[in-house]
Amino acid sequence: MTALVPYTPTALTRYEMNERVVPPVTDIYETADSFVVKLDLPGATKESIKLQVEPRKLVVQSSITADESMNLLYSEIGRKRYYREFNIGDGINVEGIHASFEDGVLTITLPKTDEMKAREIKIQ
Amino acid sequence: MMVRVAYPNIFDELIEEFFTPALDVTPTVYPAIDILENDAATVVVAEVPGVKKEDVSLKYENNVLTISGERKPYEIPQDARILLNEMRVRKFTRSIEIPHDVDAEKITAEMNNGVLRVTLPKAEVARTRTIEIK
Repeated sequence: MTALVPYTPTALTRYEMNERVVPPVTDIYETADSFVVKLDLPGATKESIKLQVEPRKLVVQSSITADESMNLLYSEIGRKRYYREFNIGDGINVEGIHASFEDGVLTITLPKTDEMKAREIKIQ
Repeated sequence: MMVRVAYPNIFDELIEEFFTPALDVTPTVYPAIDILENDAATVVVAEVPGVKKEDVSLKYENNVLTISGERKPYEIPQDARILLNEMRVRKFTRSIEIPHDVDAEKITAEMNNGVLRVTLPKAEVARTRTIEIK
């Protein structure tokens, strides 16, 4: 049998694509009293982000809810999930870790313990 | 239906790719986009984390949508020591050719959680219609 019109796939739904695990783009800087980790998580929401502090490890992950109702004509973003982990040493005040999410950027502040903070030593 | 997407500064990107380490997670084409479509409209989705609404401009001309803008650097204390810097994109621009006529007056855009969504309603002539048999 010959097809009258050759089948050309034009659009696929997000559901048909495989979900990729993507490490978020990250900036880290250190100040006198804390470490600050910034991660690009476009498309995530405050509720979808999971932030875990394990012994010596900080894990950031988030799923993305994709719009399944429309045809996908072209895709670079696709279906994905964010995952990245960071090693953290001693000297972090785990209880004091806090985070905020704005414009798709997650900012995590990891305060240093008092012992870790830089101290100026006076010369006697 | 075909979608044409411009890749600006291909040559610059090649040079940049040559000099950046393999583990770099920064995307080379920025912003990353998805193009969605249904009977009523085409939607262009672009990832623009850290970009403020007022720093993005949209232009629609001759069936081409151009997204441009700037990611302003965040506040950083003077005494800070940078340990990792992957967020490098500052100014960006990208053009997308829309494969149908658009009702340009009704184009809308919104920004949420670092994602820009531009809805381009299909012009009446471009819409799918059911043809009745008389």
